[in-house]
Amino acid sequence: MTLAPLTCAEAFKRLDDYLDRELSPEETVRVAKHLEVCARCAGEIGIERQVLEDIRMKLGRIKAPRGLMARISAQLKGG
Amino acid sequence: MTATEFEAYLAGVLDGAYALALHLTRNRSDAEDLVQEAALLAFRGFWTFVRGTNFRAWFLRILSNAFFSSLRKRRPETGAVSLEEIPSAYMQRQAHQLAASGAAGGVAPGDLVLTVTGKLESDQITAAIDALPEEYRLVCTLYFLQDLPYRDIADVLEIPVGTVRSRLHRGRALLQKRLWQLAVDHGLVAAATGGAA
Repeated sequence: MTLAPLTCAEAFKRLDDYLDRELSPEETVRVAKHLEVCARCAGEIGIERQVLEDIRMKLGRIKAPRGLMARISAQLKGG
Repeated sequence: MTATEFEAYLAGVLDGAYALALHLTRNRSDAEDLVQEAALLAFRGFWTFVRGTNFRAWFLRILSNAFFSSLRKRRPETGAVSLEEIPSAYMQRQAHQLAASGAAGGVAPGDLVLTVTGKLESDQITAAIDALPEEYRLVCTLYFLQDLPYRDIADVLEIPVGTVRSRLHRGRALLQKRLWQLAVDHGLVAAATGGAA
């Protein structure tokens, strides 16, 4: 059975799950098909994806302090 | 199982574990202590870890549990939290509103949004996440810092996947609202006039 094409509002409701790849395969295809024919939604989802990547990139710079792994190793060996 | 094998697993997730600990404790020294405590607990329970499964999620769950139990801190409630409804893609909505009012200086809404996320500093974004209500902060931290799928976040926090989904969607929307406000406060964009906030 072929599911009905999504409207922009229906696609928007699925935006977060689509970006997170948490939709079912069928729902993913439905959103993807809508994006193929709707430049506006495709553009907006592209921007949202970039926003998430920007945030992730800026937060991903935290490094464990130098020496932490060595302290843990010593702790494990000490019991 | 040996300490060497355990350490090899741990080394691969140490930065992420420390980042989570820092967000939980909000203090570098406490974060280090928490990671060390979690490492000791994980090593003692390493025999329960199933090879081939996700060590990172397994270790972060131990770290999260250690945080909540050592501080005798109450876990965030799993029930719905009353908050104003903030739509997804909040910043794009605001940017479209600005463009429609002529206050965007001819900049396309999408470019305006990416200017905001591009110009905000890491510290500002970190502070905005840390300022989220705890139930959203934890989920967003695991999502953005660890890049975990919903199922693994649910596993780490021991809450249902549906709760992760709703908290993450609302937390992200709330974060976008705060980042946009930050951008307005710092003059990166003009304040929107009228419309939904």
